[in-house]
Amino acid sequence: MKSESNLEKVIASGNPAVTAELGPPMSANGHEVREKAKLLKGFCDAANITDCQTAVVRISSIAAAYMALQEGVEPVMQMTCRDRNRIAMQADLLGAAALGLKNCLCLAGDHQNFSAAGRLKGHPGAKNVYDVDTCQLVGILKKMRDEGLQEGGDKLEEAPKFFIGASWTPMGDPIDFRPVNLMKKVNSGADFIQTQGIYDIEGFRAQMEKARNLGLHERTAILGGIIVPRSGMMLKYMDSSVAGVSVPKALIDRMMKAKEAAGDDKKKAKALQEAEGIKITIELIHQVLETPGVKGVHIQAIEWESAIEGIVKEAGLYPRPSV
Amino acid sequence: MAEDNTTALNEPYRPYGADIKETRPYSPCRAACPAHTDVQAYVGLIAQGKYTEAFEVITSVNPIASVCSMICHHPCEQACRRCGVDEPLAVRHLKRFAIERSQDYRRAKRKLTKKTRGKSIGVIGSGPSGLTAANDLASLGYDVTIYERHPVLGGMLASAIPPYRLPREMLNEDIDDVISKGINVKTGFEIGRDRKLEDLMKDHDGIVIAIGLSQSRSLNIPGVEGDGVLLAIPFLEDVAFDRKPDLGKKVLVIGGGNVAMDVARTARRMGVKDVSMVCLESAEEMPAWKWEIDEAIEEGVTIDNRWGPKAVKRENGKVQGLEVVKVNSVFDDKGRFNPSFDDKTTKIIEADTIIITIGQMSNMSFLKDGPVKLDERGLIQWDRDTHMSSASNVFVAGEVVTGPGSAIAAVASGHRAAMALHLYLQGEEIKGNLPEHEKDKIDQLPGKVVDLLDREQRQEIKHLPPEVRCDTFTHFEIGYDEAEALKEAGRCRGCGGGAVVDPNRCMACLTCLRVCPYGAPKVFAVSEIRPEYCQACGLCAPECPGQAISMVSYDVNEIRSSMPDIIGKRDPKRSDPVIAAFLCTHHTGVGGFNVPGNIRTIPVHCISRVDVLDVLSAFSNGADGVAVIRCADGSCKYKGVAKRVSSRIGRARELLSMLGIENERTEMLTASSTNGNRYSSVCTEFSEKIKELGLRSS
Amino acid sequence: MIVGSQKPIDEIWDMVKEFKRVIVFGCNTCVAICHAGGSKEAETIASMLKMRSSNEGVDMDVSSTSVMRHCEPEYFDEVIDELRSYDLVLSTACGVGVNFLSERIGNIPVYPGINTSFFGAVPEAGVFEELCAGCGDCILHMTGGICPVARCSKTLMNGPCGGTNEGKCEIGKDVDCAWYLIVQRMKDLGTIEKLSEVIPPRSWSTSRDGGPRRVSVEHIREYEESAEQKTEAGGSK
Ligand SMILES: Cc1cc2nc3c(=O)[nH]c(=O)nc-3n(C[C@H](O)[C@H](O)[C@H](O)COP(=O)(O)OP(=O)(O)OC[C@H]3O[C@@H](n4cnc5c(N)ncnc54)[C@H](O)[C@@H]3O)c2cc1C
Ligand code: SF4
Ligand code: SF4
Ligand code: SF4
Repeated sequence: MKSESNLEKVIASGNPAVTAELGPPMSANGHEVREKAKLLKGFCDAANITDCQTAVVRISSIAAAYMALQEGVEPVMQMTCRDRNRIAMQADLLGAAALGLKNCLCLAGDHQNFSAAGRLKGHPGAKNVYDVDTCQLVGILKKMRDEGLQEGGDKLEEAPKFFIGASWTPMGDPIDFRPVNLMKKVNSGADFIQTQGIYDIEGFRAQMEKARNLGLHERTAILGGIIVPRSGMMLKYMDSSVAGVSVPKALIDRMMKAKEAAGDDKKKAKALQEAEGIKITIELIHQVLETPGVKGVHIQAIEWESAIEGIVKEAGLYPRPSV
Repeated sequence: MAEDNTTALNEPYRPYGADIKETRPYSPCRAACPAHTDVQAYVGLIAQGKYTEAFEVITSVNPIASVCSMICHHPCEQACRRCGVDEPLAVRHLKRFAIERSQDYRRAKRKLTKKTRGKSIGVIGSGPSGLTAANDLASLGYDVTIYERHPVLGGMLASAIPPYRLPREMLNEDIDDVISKGINVKTGFEIGRDRKLEDLMKDHDGIVIAIGLSQSRSLNIPGVEGDGVLLAIPFLEDVAFDRKPDLGKKVLVIGGGNVAMDVARTARRMGVKDVSMVCLESAEEMPAWKWEIDEAIEEGVTIDNRWGPKAVKRENGKVQGLEVVKVNSVFDDKGRFNPSFDDKTTKIIEADTIIITIGQMSNMSFLKDGPVKLDERGLIQWDRDTHMSSASNVFVAGEVVTGPGSAIAAVASGHRAAMALHLYLQGEEIKGNLPEHEKDKIDQLPGKVVDLLDREQRQEIKHLPPEVRCDTFTHFEIGYDEAEALKEAGRCRGCGGGAVVDPNRCMACLTCLRVCPYGAPKVFAVSEIRPEYCQACGLCAPECPGQAISMVSYDVNEIRSSMPDIIGKRDPKRSDPVIAAFLCTHHTGVGGFNVPGNIRTIPVHCISRVDVLDVLSAFSNGADGVAVIRCADGSCKYKGVAKRVSSRIGRARELLSMLGIENERTEMLTASSTNGNRYSSVCTEFSEKIKELGLRSS
Repeated sequence: MIVGSQKPIDEIWDMVKEFKRVIVFGCNTCVAICHAGGSKEAETIASMLKMRSSNEGVDMDVSSTSVMRHCEPEYFDEVIDELRSYDLVLSTACGVGVNFLSERIGNIPVYPGINTSFFGAVPEAGVFEELCAGCGDCILHMTGGICPVARCSKTLMNGPCGGTNEGKCEIGKDVDCAWYLIVQRMKDLGTIEKLSEVIPPRSWSTSRDGGPRRVSVEHIREYEESAEQKTEAGGSK
């Protein structure tokens, strides 16, 4: 065992792993983190704590992860390269390890431009850091853990033992480079991979085949990303606007049909679409898990953590193994 | 020449850009003109309606401008780069127009020049060369006397060139300009007869001999002596001085040159219906200008080519005709004049009068055995580089030494002689300091540019119909009216008047290269704008971010620096807005705008020259609105102007809006350039719009 | 070359409004090429300031001049006395010029008349593109000649990130993804294999992060010194 984390153990046990996602609030009150953790507890092996996702300021991922841990949910602390240089990153990693955090997912992070995309003002004028990128951060974690050395070469008294993760967008441009991209992360030391949301199962399987040909599925645990659809509009938006995500028309049609079935009744439309969304999610989970080389799923119910319980149960992934 | 007092000779009036032009190749028209008249400058001024300025440019180098405007053989036109596009500019006719429009102006400006030098000059002969020398020397402050054996001044212009081509009033305008400087005139005064050259040399500090070629050559054939056979110059002189001889019913002119044409056409005007010509040359070989031949034929003159005179046939002494022999060839292998005849083929051409017009010579008898030496052929010995004869203070000018040529060539010779004499009297080196004959000139238009130019027919030069003109000695050619002149002047491509880069300001940004519609700029270390490509449109200068581009023919800063005067006083209680209107003068001229006083017109040769800074400056000086009014699509003589300038307007608006000046206050508008009224209505409409928008307060 | 862009007149006005005599000082090299601060634009700004001051009823004397470059003292030597006769020099050079002149002019403020944007090329008339960030340690040989430092919004060394969308960067549809271009280019060059290697964390000490930078070309400096000695020996200084 590299880290003794629950996630690492579940994967090692050969069971399909389940991770979920917990987004911290824009608040100095940690109550919401705890509430969300409660909703997830028992239904996932670990929960990702996002690091100022879409570059919006929220409770830091370390602090929120620590709160989740206190609530009995094992966190996957996310760390983007956007906001910290290698000094801050390593300091945070040591602190996180000292607090008992065991999983870390390395990400480039959304550009600060995104922070002003919706209704928020955000901080598009922020200076981004990108002292190192994802691969390099993965490498730093590995060096700290396995060699007990900082990036600069100085010795650590005690090495932080992290289960190291990285993200992968299998369907992103340029598509034929994506497997190489994955390989670089694996070569850098990624123990597990969480992918961008998958709807186009055929496309995903084709990319997985390439990854398998490179032998990557044996060197890292690939958890397929599932983003729980809530409405037809959301699917359409993701298809058109989210990088690396394409949604087959059939899925969009199913959701739109559900919406139409409700007529003018908005409440009903919402309920019908959510129900259909959960159905789709369960199908996707099965399809992803059936894909050779996949070791689990990463289920993101964005601002809808309450849906996880039902999904995991219905997908036949409950109870979660205790290892 | 580092001499200040010589400048007056060459530079009484200097059009904008005169100095820089001296450092660059001349426009081909200018290079072709023996006096190097700045054609591009004056045609450009005519195009803008600045006629007296054009007159100044012309007369600054040509004291017989009126004459030339009528009879010049215009080598400028033959050299015009428009020849490669369609037809040359009607340069001579435009000159005539500018001069006609400047009649009052020129008369008013005649004045005595001060005789500051304390030295006197005698000029023998008052043809173009003598008049020019006298004019220049008088301008330089010498006390000048002209000696002319004829009763009037003007040389061949007065005594030989027939008045239907050169009305004497025109000649007299030129002569009056010259004489009014305070030149003493002795007419009917023949040197040799009335005073010996040696004595004259004592009377003056310097002498210019400019006696031309005033005698006709004759033929050495049987029967030539006696009545009924005339020589050209005496004949023309008789006509000019109203001693008209009786010619009978049939006149035969021997010769194929321009003088022969004048003789034949003069005979037609003396009531002779049957005028024929006989010459050695074929129609193509004839030395006369094509247009002279055409005009003679129009007037019913017949030409018998390739016959040589053999004998004058007489009966009882009275001329019956001319026996002629067939010509095999006129020129030998080497192109030299060396006629050969087919003696077996002869014929007789009937005639009552035969006029021999085969060339001229001078009467040098008064020089025999004097201080001015003649060579073995009886011609004056002279040095081409100094215009000096063998007597040190006797200089020579004109055809007496150069041989037959044109009036304007005689003018050029007169300038050189005057300058030479002046330098001599100043004790300065002459050689190398006289105006040059040959000037570097701009190459022909590159094919790429020709393809971009619109074909535009030359404005026709109208003549009296042949029936009418043969009955009179009245001038047969009709001048342009203003519209025609503006249109014709608008055809000029402004060669050599275009863009020049200051290498100290150019940072090789390539903007000009991208802007120029004609591919004129080439950018290496700095931009070089190739004059053979440049059409002087002016589009590039306002775009250059380094302000490195200036134009030869106008001051690119002029408009903005004179904006305070253009806008003038602004009444704070005015009800009408003050509008600055940049108006394209193409085909309209500066005089073509008739707009209400609240509209301050800024005539431009093309809106291409309007700079963002000009627009800002108009507002900064108090304009309520700025209109840039271009000529209608299709009439613009340049490419790509509208698009560029509208981007500039966009830029000006962007800047002005930062100062709270609304976009609507700056506008690019279009008016038809063939109708000046359109400009007024476009301006007035714009002014109304601005009035509605409101006047600017501060 | 260095690319600059114009500042709004309001901003400039706020900078200069307290001064009585202002000279707008253009630089006729890089920033002229991008139509931001050459002689022409200096005159334009001066003319705008004149109008603005008269609108505001402020008595201000504004003029403009320019020299070829502001970043070498020889170029502005000939106008420096004239500049010193003003209360404010509004330099339309790049920031280099503003700094450089500030250090040399004495007690007269030099303010920036334009924004200095980046080093760039001119792909077409009127368009300027950032292609190099001057990081001080060039890696273009590893990235197919396309710079991820300047052209990737995240300066990734092992891109692309997940944000690439149809060849565009996640920050906007009008921004090319540098890594997309790098991958394409290296495929075309047949060097795509190189991209399988992870580029390790780099040292940014050669870039701005290492503090203000300075390049010293010793053989040229030596030459300059000896030239100075020569003139000193000649007694002219
Ligand atoms: C019929 C004709 C038509 C022409 N048409 C044209 C034309 O269309 N275009 C054109 O450009 N050119 C034309 N020319 C040519 C032009 O007229 C001459 O080139 C020009 O006149 C030469 O000028 P000059 O000053 O050298 O001599 P001239 O004009 O010949 O002047 C010499 C003067 O000296 C006088 N003189 C001579 N001896 C004495 C003396 N001893 N004492 C005092 N005075 C003396 C003569 O009387 C004469 O007035 C024409 C010439 C002729 C004859
Ligand atoms: S186009 Fe004008 S400038 Fe050019 S050669 Fe003809 S007359 Fe002269
Ligand atoms: S536009 Fe001006 S600075 Fe640019 S290349 Fe042309 S002349 Fe030189
Ligand atoms: S833009 Fe016009 S003036 Fe400038 S170089 Fe070209 S033709 Fe000449």
